[in-house]
Order: sequence, then structure tokens, then C-alpha cells
Amino acid sequence: MDRVVKKRIVKRYQVTWLGFVLAFCLSLGFAQDLTLAAHYTAEQAAALEPCIAAYAQETGVNVAYQQISYGDYLQTILTARIGGQAPDIYHIYSIWAPQLVDNGVLDAPPDNTLSWIKDSYISNTVDAVTINGQVWGIPTEVSNYMLVYNKQLLAEAGFDAPPSTWTELLDMAAAITKRNDQGNITTAGYAYGSSTATVVHPFFTMLYSAGINPFKDDFSGTNLTSPEAIAVLEQQIELFKQGITDRSIEVWDFPSGSIAMMFMASWFEADLRAAFVDNFDDVVGVAPIPMGDDWRSLQYAFFYGVDANSPNKEAAWDFLEWLNTAQSEGQTSCMGTMLMDLGALTANKADIAAAQDNLGDSFTAPYVAALERSITEPNVIQASEIEGILKTYIERAWAGELTAEEALTQADKEITTILKEFY
Amino acid sequence: MTTESLQSSPSRRRRRLQQKDWAPYVFLAPMLFFLVVFFVLPIGFALYLTFTRWNPLSTPKWVGLRNYTYLLTSDPTFYLTLKNTFVFAFGTVLIGIPIALVIAFVFTLSRGKAFWRSIYWLPMVTNVVAIAFIWQIILDGTYGLLNQLLAFFGITGPQWLSDPKSAMIAVILVAIWTGLGQNMLLFSAGLEGIDESYYEAARIDGANTARIFWNITLPLLRPTLLFVSITSFIAGMGSFTLILVLTEGGPIQSTNVTALYMYQMAFQDLRMGRASAMAFILFIIIFIITLIQLRIFRRGGVEAY
Repeated sequence: MDRVVKKRIVKRYQVTWLGFVLAFCLSLGFAQDLTLAAHYTAEQAAALEPCIAAYAQETGVNVAYQQISYGDYLQTILTARIGGQAPDIYHIYSIWAPQLVDNGVLDAPPDNTLSWIKDSYISNTVDAVTINGQVWGIPTEVSNYMLVYNKQLLAEAGFDAPPSTWTELLDMAAAITKRNDQGNITTAGYAYGSSTATVVHPFFTMLYSAGINPFKDDFSGTNLTSPEAIAVLEQQIELFKQGITDRSIEVWDFPSGSIAMMFMASWFEADLRAAFVDNFDDVVGVAPIPMGDDWRSLQYAFFYGVDANSPNKEAAWDFLEWLNTAQSEGQTSCMGTMLMDLGALTANKADIAAAQDNLGDSFTAPYVAALERSITEPNVIQASEIEGILKTYIERAWAGELTAEEALTQADKEITTILKEFY
Repeated sequence: MTTESLQSSPSRRRRRLQQKDWAPYVFLAPMLFFLVVFFVLPIGFALYLTFTRWNPLSTPKWVGLRNYTYLLTSDPTFYLTLKNTFVFAFGTVLIGIPIALVIAFVFTLSRGKAFWRSIYWLPMVTNVVAIAFIWQIILDGTYGLLNQLLAFFGITGPQWLSDPKSAMIAVILVAIWTGLGQNMLLFSAGLEGIDESYYEAARIDGANTARIFWNITLPLLRPTLLFVSITSFIAGMGSFTLILVLTEGGPIQSTNVTALYMYQMAFQDLRMGRASAMAFILFIIIFIITLIQLRIFRRGGVEAY
């Protein structure tokens, strides 16, 4: 090869390498100070982008947003931790917290942040991020359950108001249910789902309304074999016995207009609005859980937590407090704005006050009002496994394989074995 | 140049020979390195995990044989998933293989065999998640295409995927449909390998198509049958993606197979030790059944290879 050509090639390589080295040095010089990992897509988290930029300008702290899908969240952060690549800030479903706390993954907030959390959030929601008396993060998206009903289907069957007791619900649902020539339900009076949440959450909601906590206070066992819990499951079984619903009917079919009633969380609003568009207010109604005057709801929350091994813990807590605090009078916080855009609920008192336009509509207002009487989903270790077991036995009772008492006794036995492992 | 310089001394020659002994290993080193890093070490680590309680948040805690004891004596779901796994694997093999064989045989006799083979091969190049979603729509109890078709003939179809009694049947049928193309193609290759003179001789002797299939095709196809049955069975025992998307193991655990239960235990319940123990139990079961299959097909199967 010609010597001049060789020299040129060598020179080109040198330039390329120099470029790489320079880029690397520059990236070190402008390194991101914090990494925030949440399950929201870039589109959903778009409201955070200008806030993060403003915070960088104000404090010089750069925050990188990392999206991890909800289904893979826990596995991804576990793998990241094993590889020493854990983010500084997590956005966590509250039932994952006991396990993360038990294994020393989360950092306890500093005293000033702690008192700010207690002052700024609805106390029931603070319970969702409290484990053994210690608050572990800043609550963000909150969901609770209400009775969502189809006004038109109720009206067609001659009902002008939603039920207020389970007996009324059964009567109304039976009158609304329709079947085709093959015997399949085409209009269902009531619907459950097939996921753990759509089976277990309505059950917990009814348990709370019956004045029963699913677990003993010290998590040494369950209250599933109590007469009240058995009665609740029997009430659910009645829906299947009377042919008001079956396993093929899913809450997700509500937007098709073929379901009259369901227990549903507030975050489903966006799907319902997309389905009913201009008819939304004429079709979709929200009412209290039909379990009499003492009804309660179940609530679950996501929260921001900080990794215990993060070298930037102080900066992370400062950023999170800033992110969840309104930057100007009468406005919502950055996080509050994002949640409002999503149609989600917040338990931040200042955000609730500032966002009455968003939270005051006929669909959302009952959910917000119910936060005060919503009891948090139990923060028990191995919650996912325990709820999975409970789901299976509830479904077996619905299918008539087991009586309510048999199902809950067997569930209690299996769940207690798990609890004894950890408590 | 002296004779001495032309001939190597015995010690130098031994050294050279020894160097030659190492040569293959040097060339194999990259592959061996990957084998150790990505196969031997993970299997060794998984075996170690079977004797521990470990969620990846903490360090593994030694529990001896407790994971195996729990699975084999206390876990009510493990045996249920094992039963479901056998039903699924044997279902796909016992129903799927004869169908694939008959279709392959018919295609060898038909015109445009390449076209038909391509059509049947299409599910193999389709994403399994897409397949599952399509079948979810087809098998919907109320509005699904299949039940609408049955209703046209006055038959009430079951709630295919939401009734525990019919869900496993539906899952098996979808799995057979998905894997039919591959098995059909393997049988086609086997059929093409059978010498035409056997058929000619049989026809001259007056044998009809059924007789030819039974007495010539099947015996000569035993190596392919062995391969297809073993690979289909192993795939069936370890299959879970289709089920995960189609039913998530439901309703009421009726389609929950051991591989799916293992996945749930490892990545949802964070019980890596117990899930690893389950993987080893499943491996031993598959290994034993494969040995039995090899034994059964020894004559005309293994020996033919």
C-alpha cells in the first residue's frame, strides 16, 4: 500500500479515536447527577420534561428520566442493582415496598422531608407508604375503587339511581342481564375481571366495607376465615349463581356498553372517555360502594423512593420535594400537573386544592371525596404471591368448585404459611 | 547442511507433539469460553440456588433441601401444574404429530406441494404473541368467530378460554396449529428421502395407498418420527409463552404449566431458589421421558441414525 495512503488512514483513525476520547471526557464533565426510573411512558411523563430542565437551570442538578414498563419494573431494578446500575430514584407500587424495605433497598427520608410528607398528603395515603411506622417515600398516583355504572342500561331496566346495598345490586343486575340464543351473556348486570387486581381488590373493598381487615395487625395470620369474610365471598358467589355474570365477562368490556356495573379504579377514566366521547356524562356514573352507610374503599398508591446505595441521596430527596411542590401560588406541582394530565388522582392536599377544575367533574369528584374513607392495600411482604393465592381460591368459589368457607379456609392455610416465613 | 540439523532431537519432537496436542483446544478456546460463561456457570449457579432462599435483593441464604421438600410435599400448585404440563405436552404430541404426518403425506401426493407447505409454515414465522391475540378473538365465547360459526349450525360453543373445562383443550389446539408447519415440513423431508422404488414395488404387488402408508411409509419414517416426537415433547414440556399471553395460566390455574409457574415464582414472587429447584425437577422428568422415548424408538429410530 502506498505510504501516503497508509498515513492518511492512520490519521483518520487517530481523529476518530480523538473524537471518542473527547466525547467521553465531555460526557464525564456533564454527567447526569440523578436517574429517575418510572413506569410512565415518555408521552405520559412529558409534563416532567420542562420541570427537569428548570430544576437543572435552578440548581445545576441534571436528572435523567428512565422508563421501565410496569410489568418488568421490579425485575429490571433488581437486575440493575445486581449490575451496580441502579437508578437513584424509584417510582414504586406500594405493595412492593415491604420487600424492598426488608432487603435494605430503600433510604428513609430525612427528617425535614418526612415532616413535609406528613403535612402535605392525606393521611390514609401516607399509610400506603408506611411500613412498621416508618414512611419510605413521597406518594404520587393514588387509585381507589368506586361503583362505576352504565346510566343508560340502568334506565332501560327502570332504575333511576344506582344501588346502595348489595341486595339492591343483585336485584338490579339480575333485571339488566341479557343472554343470546346460545345462552351467552350479552349484557351483564355486573363484571369482575381475570387479573389479580380485578379479583382481589373488589374483595378487599367489600371486606373493608364489612369492617374486616384481610390480615391480623401483626401479619401473623389472616382474617379470611371470619364469618364476615365468608359472608362477603358468598355475596359475590350469588352473582355467579344467579347468572348475572360469568368468567367470560371482564370489566374491560365496560366501554363496549355491555356491562351495567363494576367496581373500578379512577385511572380507567381515560379509557371510558375515549369510548363514550360526547356521551360520557350521559352514560357513565360513579357511586359509593353499595355496602350500606359504612362503606369503605380500597386504595393503592405509587410513591417515589430513593435507593439506599445511591451516592446522591440528599440531592434526590431535595429534587423529589421540589418536584412535588407547587412552584407558584395557586398552581399544581410538576408531578401534580402530570397526574392531572393522565386523569389520575393525587393525595397531595395542595395539588387537590389547586386542581379543582380537573378533579371536580362528576366522574372524579366522588373518587377524591372517597379518599378519606379509602383504606390502603395491605403492605404485606410477598403481597403479589399472597394475592395470587387468594385470587385462585376466590375464582374456585365463583366457579362453584368450593364453598366460600372452604375456599377461604384453604387460602388462609396457604397464606399463613407464607406469613410465618417472614413475620 | 548436516543430517543432524535436518532431524529434530527426540525432546524437541516431543515438545512439538505436545504443542500439537494443545492446538485443538486453542482453536476451541473461544467456543469453550462461551460454553463455560453462558452454559456451565449459569447451570452451576442455578443448581447452587436450588439449595438457597434468594430474592435478588439480598444474598442467598442456605436452606439445604427445603425447596425440593416444599415442592414435592407441600406445594399444592406444583403437582397441578405438572399434571397440566403433561396434558399439554402429550396433547400436542399425540394429536399434533398424526395430523402433521397425514398432511405431509397428502402433500407429497398432491400438486403444488411447495405452495401448500409454505401456507402451513406461515404460523412458524408469525410472532407467538400475535398468534395468541388472534386466537383470543377467534375463541371469544360470545363474539368469537368459532362460536359464531358453531351457532350458525345450531351448536352452542363453550367459553373456550374462560371455562376451566375447555381452556386446556383450546390452548392445545392453538399450540398444535402453531407448530403444525414445522412438523409437517420435517415429515415432508423424511418422506422425500424414502426411495420411490419401494412404492413402485408395492403398487406392482397391488397395495393401496393406506397399505403403502402403513407398511412402507411409517416404518421408513421412524427416524423422523423419533426426532419430531422427542423435540415436540420437549418443546411442549417447556412451553409457556403462548399460554402466558393466551390465558396467563387461568382460568383457575387450569392452563398453568410448570414452566409458567416457574416464571411466576421467580419473577413475580421473587423466589429464585424454589424456581430453580422446580427447573431441575422438570429437567429430570424431561430427561427420563426422553430416555424412555429413545428406548421405544430404538429399532428403526436411533439405530437408523
